[in-house]
Amino acid sequence: MTASTDLKMTVYASLFVALIAVGAFIAIPIGPVPIVLQNLFVLLAGLLLGPVWGLACVAVYLIIGLAGLPVFAGGTSGLGKLFGPTGGYLLGYLPCVFITASVSKGLGKKTAFDILAMVLGSLIVYAAGVPWLKAVTGMSLEKAVMAGMVPFLIGDALKIVAAAFLAKTLRPLMKL
Amino acid sequence: MAEITPFTYRPGDSSLHFLDPRLKFFIVSLISVSLVGAGFISTGICFLMLVLSLKKTGLHFFSILKHLKLFLALLFFIFLARAVTTQGDILVSVYGLALTRQGLTEGGLVAFKFFAVMLTGLMFSVTTRPSSIKAAVQWFLKPVPLVPEKRVAVMISLALCFLPVILRQAKEISDAQNARCAHLQKNPVRKTMGLVLPLLKRTVLSADRLVLAMESRCYRDDRTDPEFNPSGREPLFLFGTLALCLCLLLC
Repeated sequence: MTASTDLKMTVYASLFVALIAVGAFIAIPIGPVPIVLQNLFVLLAGLLLGPVWGLACVAVYLIIGLAGLPVFAGGTSGLGKLFGPTGGYLLGYLPCVFITASVSKGLGKKTAFDILAMVLGSLIVYAAGVPWLKAVTGMSLEKAVMAGMVPFLIGDALKIVAAAFLAKTLRPLMKL
Repeated sequence: MAEITPFTYRPGDSSLHFLDPRLKFFIVSLISVSLVGAGFISTGICFLMLVLSLKKTGLHFFSILKHLKLFLALLFFIFLARAVTTQGDILVSVYGLALTRQGLTEGGLVAFKFFAVMLTGLMFSVTTRPSSIKAAVQWFLKPVPLVPEKRVAVMISLALCFLPVILRQAKEISDAQNARCAHLQKNPVRKTMGLVLPLLKRTVLSADRLVLAMESRCYRDDRTDPEFNPSGREPLFLFGTLALCLCLLLC
C-alpha cells in the first residue's frame, strides 16, 4: 500500500468513525419504530473499507466511546455503556465488520454476495448482543431473543438491502 | 458534538477540569470496575459523590435524567427482568410471573450500579476536552504492540472534524428532500437511500478534498507527541479514589 493510499484509507476510515457515531442520532421515520442508521454504517464500513480498515474504523469508534467521548447512542460513553446491557451489540460490531468485509472481498464484491456478507455480519452482532443481554438481565435465552433481536429484524433487512445498493454506487466514487 | 448530546465537554474551573486526563481515565476505570462488586450502601455513597461532582461541573441531576430517558428505560427493563427471574420469597404473582423480594433487591442493585457507572463516564466526558481525550488515548496505546498510536490519534481528530460536517449536511439534505415531498415516500428502502446516498456522496467528496489538502502539505504520521500539564493535585485524587474503591469493595 502506497503512502497516498494509506492516507486516503485513514481519512475514509475516520469518516466512517464519524458516520457510525452520528448514525445513532440520525433516524428515518418509518412506521412506529424509526430506522436508526448506526449498524447500516458499520456494514457499509465493512463493504467499502475492507477487513483491516473496517476493523480499524470500528475499533477506533469503540476506543473513543470507551475513552469518554460521547459517541454511543443517547450521547453516552465510557465503561458503563460498553459493559452495560447493550455492550454485547457494540462489541459485536468488531467481528461483524471483519466478517462482512472478508466475505464480500472473498466472493468478489457482487451485490448478492454483499447481501449474504451483511446477513452473516448482522447475525454475528446478535450472537454477541443477545447472550450479553441475557447475562445482564438474567432472563431466559428465548425472552432475550424476543426482546433483543426479533423487533429489529425487519429494520435490519431494509438496511441490508439499502446498504447493498449504496455500496454498489459508492465503490466507483471512492475508487476502491 | 454539542448539537447531538449535552454530555460533551463543558468549560469550567473545577479541580476535575484541571486533572491530568490520563489519571482521570484511570480513576474512572477503577471506580467503574470497583462498582461491580459494591453493595447498596457503598454504591449510594459513590453515587452521592458523583452527583455532587457533576453539580460542580454545571450539569444538573434532573437535566441528566431527562437526557438519559432511553438508558433509564433500559435500566427499568433490567430491574423488572431481574425481579421476576430471581428465585426467592414471592411478593406478588401475576400471570405466572412471580415478583420476589430477592429479585427486587438484586434488580435494584444492578440497575443502581449501572447508573452510577454511567454517571462516572459522564463526569469524565463533561470535564475533559476532546483533544485531551485524544492525547490520553495516544499515551495509553503507546505500549500496545501492532497499534500505530499516532495514526489512531489522527483518526480521532479527523472523526471529530467530520462530525459537524455530517450533521450539517444531513440536515440540509433532509430539508431539501422534505421540500420535495420526500416525507410522503412510502418505500422504506427508497426513503433510506434518499437521505444516505447524497449524504455519503457529499461526505466522501469532502474526505477526498481533505486527502488532497493533507497530501499537498506533505502530511506524515510522525507528529510531535502531545504534552500533559498535571495540576499538582493528582496524588490527592489518586489516594482519594483508592480509598473510595476500597470502601466500594469492602462495604
